[in-house]
Order: sequence, then structure tokens, then C-alpha cells
Amino acid sequence: MKGGTGFRIYAMVYLVFLYAPIVLLPMFAFNNGIIIAFPLQGFTTQWFAALLDDPPLHDAVRNSLIIAVSVSILSTTLGVFAARASTRFNFPFKGPLMGLIMLPLVLPEIIVAVSLLVVLLGLGVSLNILTVILGHVLVCTPFCIAILTSAFQSLDRSLEEAAYDLGETPLSTFRLIILPLVMPGIVSALLISFTISLDEFIIAFFLAGTQATLPVYIFSQFRFPQAVPVIMALGTILVCLSILLLSIAEFFRRRGLARSGAKDTGGFL
Amino acid sequence: MTEKPTMPGPTMIEFRDVQKYYGDYHALRGITAEIRAGEFFSLLGPSGCGKTTLLRTIAGFESISSGVVLIDGKDMAQVPANQRPTNMVFQSYAIFPHLTVAENVGFGLRREAGSREDKARRVTEALEMVGLKGYGARAAHALSGGQRQRVALARALILKPKVLLLDEPLSALDKKMRENMQVELIKLQRQVGITFILVTHDQEEALVMSDRIAVMFEGQIAQLDDPETLYRRPKTRQVADFIGTMNFLPAEVAAQTNEGYSVDVAGLGRCEITEAQAPGAPTGGPASVGFRPETLTILYEGQTTSDRVSEGTVEEVVYYGDMTYYDVKLDGIDTPVRLSMRNLPGRPVLDIRTRTRVSWSPGALVLFR
Amino acid sequence: MSIGGLFSRIGRSEAASGLAMISPPAIYAILLLAAPLVTILLYSFLTDGYLEIIRQFTLCNYFGPCGTYKMVEGELVQQAQFKGAWSDPLFLTVMLRSLYVSLGVTIATVFLSFPVAYFVSFHVEPSKKSLWLFLITIPFWTSYLIRVFLWKVILGYNGVINSALLGLGIIDEPLQVINYNVGAVIVTLAHAYAPFAILPIFVALEKIDRSLLEAGQDLGESSFTTFLRVTLPLAMPGVVAAVLIVFIPTIGDFVTPQLVGGPEGRLVANLIQLQYLKLDNYPLGSAMAVSAMAVVTAVSLCFLFLNRRFLRGPQS
Ligand SMILES: Nc1ncnc2c1ncn2[C@@H]1O[C@H](COP(=O)(O)OP(=O)(O)OP(=O)(O)O)[C@@H](O)[C@H]1O
Ligand SMILES: [Mg+2]
Repeated sequence: MKGGTGFRIYAMVYLVFLYAPIVLLPMFAFNNGIIIAFPLQGFTTQWFAALLDDPPLHDAVRNSLIIAVSVSILSTTLGVFAARASTRFNFPFKGPLMGLIMLPLVLPEIIVAVSLLVVLLGLGVSLNILTVILGHVLVCTPFCIAILTSAFQSLDRSLEEAAYDLGETPLSTFRLIILPLVMPGIVSALLISFTISLDEFIIAFFLAGTQATLPVYIFSQFRFPQAVPVIMALGTILVCLSILLLSIAEFFRRRGLARSGAKDTGGFL
Repeated sequence: MTEKPTMPGPTMIEFRDVQKYYGDYHALRGITAEIRAGEFFSLLGPSGCGKTTLLRTIAGFESISSGVVLIDGKDMAQVPANQRPTNMVFQSYAIFPHLTVAENVGFGLRREAGSREDKARRVTEALEMVGLKGYGARAAHALSGGQRQRVALARALILKPKVLLLDEPLSALDKKMRENMQVELIKLQRQVGITFILVTHDQEEALVMSDRIAVMFEGQIAQLDDPETLYRRPKTRQVADFIGTMNFLPAEVAAQTNEGYSVDVAGLGRCEITEAQAPGAPTGGPASVGFRPETLTILYEGQTTSDRVSEGTVEEVVYYGDMTYYDVKLDGIDTPVRLSMRNLPGRPVLDIRTRTRVSWSPGALVLFR
Repeated sequence: MSIGGLFSRIGRSEAASGLAMISPPAIYAILLLAAPLVTILLYSFLTDGYLEIIRQFTLCNYFGPCGTYKMVEGELVQQAQFKGAWSDPLFLTVMLRSLYVSLGVTIATVFLSFPVAYFVSFHVEPSKKSLWLFLITIPFWTSYLIRVFLWKVILGYNGVINSALLGLGIIDEPLQVINYNVGAVIVTLAHAYAPFAILPIFVALEKIDRSLLEAGQDLGESSFTTFLRVTLPLAMPGVVAAVLIVFIPTIGDFVTPQLVGGPEGRLVANLIQLQYLKLDNYPLGSAMAVSAMAVVTAVSLCFLFLNRRFLRGPQS
């Protein structure tokens, strides 16, 4: 492994770059000063306390949670269909259909947002939580498919045939064999899509109407300097929550791999 | 060679002109055959010849393009895999990794009537039968290859199917383990009396285990016979070549006699060959004859024989311990013939370029079209 | 329809089962993605009206003087005037800047990421690889808006960098080159898209048969020339994927320019947003969105074309 040390140092510096904002976040969240700058002014928990007394924030949190839970269930369900179809069957237009479903992965979100906006308004639909859910499912499904495809792929096809051979119907085979074996993938897809939806801003900004989501609310608060420390406190909580959810997702992903005996190639994507 | 006398039971499986296409690819080209009840039957052939495909048409995993598959006299066309009286041991074993050994073995009982105790007893019996007594509570993913195989067997046999299908069940095991399992499978089959259909590309395995063997090439059955007939009287050069080693010499059918054929064999001269030695039913004209290495014998100094004798030069010697293989160029023949000699006391291994006499008998020849 | 394994034996062909299985996500994507995309393409050729769209074909949203009309007694009466996207110097400037920012972000991200992907693939023990990947992906999932905002804090006039440098006495006055400009946008976006670049490159590097590299060195190449002649070409599919997956979405970001870009940092997404949400001119907004996508697609296709020799051949 010659030359490894140079790369290692570089990688460490890169991690510092990646984590710099996240490390700063709690510093300002506990900083006893309105202005977000160094030097720090001393320790306080007042910004966290202020979170409790902010009804618009609570509305935004509630909206975001409703959206994120619905989105994670819907997009994981759609992801199961797509992952199962693409790993198990050959059918006409497979490439184009999968390409279309996966397209939001590379499509700029603003394009997804404005095109949906135009159609929804054109149909006379009023903008609310539901419209945000529609948009988020579109962008979360590809991530779910990516996770679930690897779960379905590591599933030996003869396992299904064995169950079928032993007298089970396709439906009971799915319930007794396939579902338990891809369950870790499903859990991890649920968590990832929940995290993405909770954090998504652009689509929500266009489609939320008057029902602000958490990121939309945060964005609106950036205009008021005095509100920023509270946002830092909120951000700290959100970051901790995301890391927790992601760690659980990673745990399930790895357990799924270990169970099916597949080699770990790492990463969600 | 056969382990037991073939008992001509009633027909269990019948193929009538079965054709299978994968898109444009013609995978099964008119399979017509019968497999008898209680038989240990093997499908043998090179990779890609359609063995697995044929097995899967019995199990119901593969639909056929035309023809008929009958199991126990019933047409299977409308019967899905989960309702056929067959069970399968998969090449990868397909052990359900999230279940215990006992849950795997008892999986098929889920849909059957019967008390919980009764089912548990059947699972215990099945595990005992395959030599896994006491393994029931183990997690399935913590088993060795041989143990997985036994679980797969127990799982398939517990439902008492009419036919057990095995797709290269031993190919993932090492040589020693494979030989042990071969013997165990034969014993097991005799014990349960179920029709076994084994897919293999290992000719030795097929010869050792089977009552009858279907040799397949390119989607067709080239020959269906018991192991001894297959070995001694192969119908075509292809079959002969695939099963064991065979020397071939060009020949000319000079005349068809009452008992068989008069054949002029290059380098060996005129030979009389019986009808039985020509299972491929040649008509006359150019043909070839084949003979197994062990039907030739080297005559050492002073040995005599009533068989016919040719002379030649040793070209290659391969020493195997118990056996020695020689390539001998017989006078008047361009290509050397291979012969094998058991290494017994008083039979020194010959050197390359030694002149030697070789005895052979026309009765050991096989005549091919 | 059953969600389970529809075995072809039970009366249905594999194609039909597959189509049945794919139909829920496919129908969803057709209705809510393909149809809307077609709609904005159509809108970009229609005439703007007050609070409505007038169904009259026009190219003026793209080129030339254009206007907002009102239907008065069957006659179209012009109410306001604006310039079509490509005739508007502002749009052209911003489009060019967007392209330049996206390219900058892409190049910076891919160049900075490659060594990290290389390190994880070649110098990290197999058992620790997934931990590294996990560490790299975590920041990507954590509150995007707040991360962008924190870059404003880090790079700002009174920001972390300036105050640190001031405190250390290296500078006497806060630096202005690092805040509220295109450079700040590039840094922030490069941060946001880092994992998107690292993962595809990592996957491509992992696929390389290590014996090929030994073969290269065996044939007398130095490790650097081995890298250039063996590793890099084999990693190119990953690099190409990384470039596209960073380049295309960055065009659509309007938060980063708005928060850290300053007045000169506005990008095409900001213009699009303005047309839709503030000025309510859907045809012009659609024309801008379609134009931006067309430009991005054209650049991407050129890039793919230039790299076609790396993408051919046996790949899995
Ligand atoms: N689902 C399929 N689609 C297309 N072709 C197939 C399919 N399954 C099998 N084939 C083709 O049919 C032929 C026979 O396949 P089969 O699996 O029966 O071979 P086999 O005799 O079992 O070989 P092996 O010893 O390698 O297992 C092969 O050429 C194979 O490529
Ligand atoms: Mg096979």
C-alpha cells in the first residue's frame, strides 16, 4: 500500500471539508448571540427553548412529517414493484420505462417542480400537502428502487421456485419467502425516502401553497437575522435525526446483505 | 455395472414429442421417452444440451412449446408447478436462509392437514433419514454444503412426491463428499422407492447411480439405455465419445450376413461383427468401428492368446498408479490407439518406442454408421 | 393483480407479468413526470395571457419581442411586452453564467473527489470500505438548506474564515473575494454534490481487476503510467457518470445562488423561479426551462460523445 499515506491525509482533509458545516451547526445553536459569527459569545440553550414556542414551526413540522411518512410508504411501495419487475422479468419497453422512472435522479428538481406546478394548476388542483407528496414520491422512488434492486438481485430465483414447488401459490411465496428476505432493503428504503422528503426544499417550495413544510419554513426565516440562531438549533436537531435514521438504514442494509450472504459493495446509491 | 436389476415398473413419466423454444432458440427438439416408476433415471449430456430444461418441464417451471408431458398417466399441460406430484432438489439447494433447518424441511407441510405434533414428527423422521438428526433448530445459513444438500433432500422427500427431481445436486461438493453422497442417494432411493430423475454432466456419476440413462445432445435424446448397454453398445460415435474413452478406426462394410456384418477395418483386416455390436444399425458402405481401451491387451514375452494379434510401437505412456495408459501405433494405422492395462505383478510398465504385440477380439468392436 | 412471483406457467407470459408488475410506478411516472414535461414543452410555444394561457402557437417565448395578451371580443390585445428568452441579454448572460458555474462545480467536484474514491477503493481495507462510504454520504443527506446557509456563514464577510484569519493577524480587513460571488456558489455546490461524484467513481474503480494493474507494472510501467494507461481509462465510465450526475442537477439549483451568490451569482434557475412564482409568466418560464434543459442535454451529449471510446466494450 505504498503512497497510501498521502491519499489518507487528503481523504481526511476532504472529510473535514464535508463535515465543516455540520460541525459548525451545534456551535452556533448553543452560542449566546444573535449574530452568526466568531468569536462565540458563551453557552445558552435559549434557542432550543424558543423552538417550543413557535406555532408556525409546529405546523411546518406536522406538515413535513405527514408528507415524509406518506412519501416513504408510497415511494417504497412503487419501488418494490419496479425493483421486482426489473430484476425478475423481461418485458417490452423495459429500458425506456425504467429510464423514465429513474429520470428524477438526474433531472434538475426545479424542472420536476415547475412541470408539476403547471399541470396541477392547469387541472385546477389547489396546492397543499397532497401536491407536495405527489412531487416527492417522484424524486424518492428512484432512490428506493436503487436500494431495493440490490436487495431483490441478491435473491436467488430458485428460492421462489422451491417454495412454489413445495405447493405455495405465487402470493404466499411472496409473503413467506421474498418479503422476509428483502425486508431489510424495504426498511432502509423507507428510512432513506423519509429522510429525503423531510429535507427536500425546491419541490416543496413550488408545490406547498400555503402549507409550508419544514425546509420552506426554514428558508423563509433566513430573511430575519434574529431568527437564524433558532434555525441553527432546529438544524442541529434535524442533523442528529438524519444521522440516526441513516445509521438505522445502513444497519438494515448490511443485515440484509449478511443474511443473503452477498458481498458488501457499500453505499446507498 | 448396474446396482440392481431393473424392475420394469409401470410408466411414471412420459414425454411425447416435446418441443421447447426460447424465442428462436430450439432448446428441446422432439423428446419422446418413458421413465418407469421406482427408477433411478439420469439425464446426461454436455453443458447446454437441455437437461435442466427437460427437468424443469417435468417440475412445471418451464412451459413446453408443443408435445405432451404425462406424469402417472395424467397430462400436465394445465397443471401448475405447485400442484404437480413432483419435488425438486435445486442445484443451489435453495435453502430458505431466514428459516431454521426444521422450518425448511417442514415448509411443504404448511398446506397439509394434520396436527402440529404429527408434522413435527414427520420433520424429525425426514431429518433422521438424511442423517441430520438433531439439527432441526439450526439456522439454515449456518450449514455446510453437504448439510444443505441433505436439508434440500429432506425438504423435497417429506411430501412423498411420486417423482424426485435432482438438478446436478452433487456438483457443488468436493470429490470425496460427492462419492459419499452418490452412495447415500442410491441407498435413499431404494429405501423410499420414489422415482428419482437426476441431471448430471458427469458420466461417471450417471453410470454409478442410474438404472437407466438418457444421453442428450443439442436438445435430443441420442440414446436411452441402462449403463452397461450404454457403455458397451453406444449407438453413435458421439455417445461413445461422451461416455468413457473410445478408439475409432475407419471401416468399410463389405457384406451384410445372417448374423451381422463383414467389415474391413483399416489396419485390422476383415472382422465379423454381430448384429448386437452394431446398435446404430448401419446399412453398408463407409463406416467406423470403435473399441474401448480396456478391450486391448499388451502381450508380454512368451504370452499367447486365442484372440487376434497386431504389432505396434509404444508412443506414449501415462502412469496412473493402478493403471497405465498406452498410446500404441499399430502397424498399418496412422493414428495411435489408446489401451489401458491394470498394473499387476509381472507386468512391467513399457517404455516409449518399445515394439509390442497387442491382442484384441472382434467381439469387443462396435460398428458405427 | 398479484404482487407475487407471477410464474409464466400459470397462464401468463413473462412479458405480461413484467408489464403488470412495472405498471404502478410506470403509470405514476408517465402521469406525473412525462406528461408534465410534455406540458411545459407545449406551454413554451403558447401565448401568455393574464392569469391564463392563450392557445395560440408562437415562438416568441424563445425569440423576438413577445407580449402578454388579453382576449377582447375575439381579438387578442397586447397588454404588456417582454423579450423572448434567447433575445433577452439578461437571460443569455445568466444562462452562460449558469453553464460556467455548473461546469466549474462539475470539474471541481470530480477532480477533488477522484482521489478520495481512489483512496477508498485502493488503500482502505475491504472491511472498512462501507464505513468510509457511509461517512462520505452522511453530510449529503443532512439538511440541505442549513448546509448551504452555513457556507454563507463560513465564507461570509464576517464569516468563519475571515474572523479566523483576522484573529490570527494574517489579514487586517475581511477578505471579500470569498463571499457573495460565483466562487462561493461553486464551493457550496461542490460540497453538496461530493457523494454523487465519489460513489460512481468508486464503483468503477472497484470493478477493475487488480491483476490488470499488476500486469501493467509487470510490463515495466511505473505506477504512475499504470495509473494513466490502465486505471484511469477503466475508471472513465464512473467519471462520466459522476460528471453527468453532478452537472445536470446543478443547473436547477436556485437556493445556493440566492443565499451565497450575491447579486452577481444569480443563475438560470432563479430566473425560471421568478417567471413562475413572481411574474406568473408560464410560457416564458417554460421556454426558459426548456432552453436550459436543451443546453444541458446538448452539453451532456457532447461530453458523452467525446468519451464514447471509454463507454464501449464489455461492461457489466
Ligand atoms: N430462459 C432461457 N432463455 C433463453 N435460453 C435459455 C433459457 N434457459 C436455457 N436456455 C438455453 O437453452 C439451452 C439448454 O439449457 P439448459 O439449462 O437446459 O442446459 P443444461 O443441459 O442444463 O446445461 P448445464 O449443464 O450447463 O446446466 C442452453 O443453450 C441455454 O442457453
Ligand atoms: Mg443445467
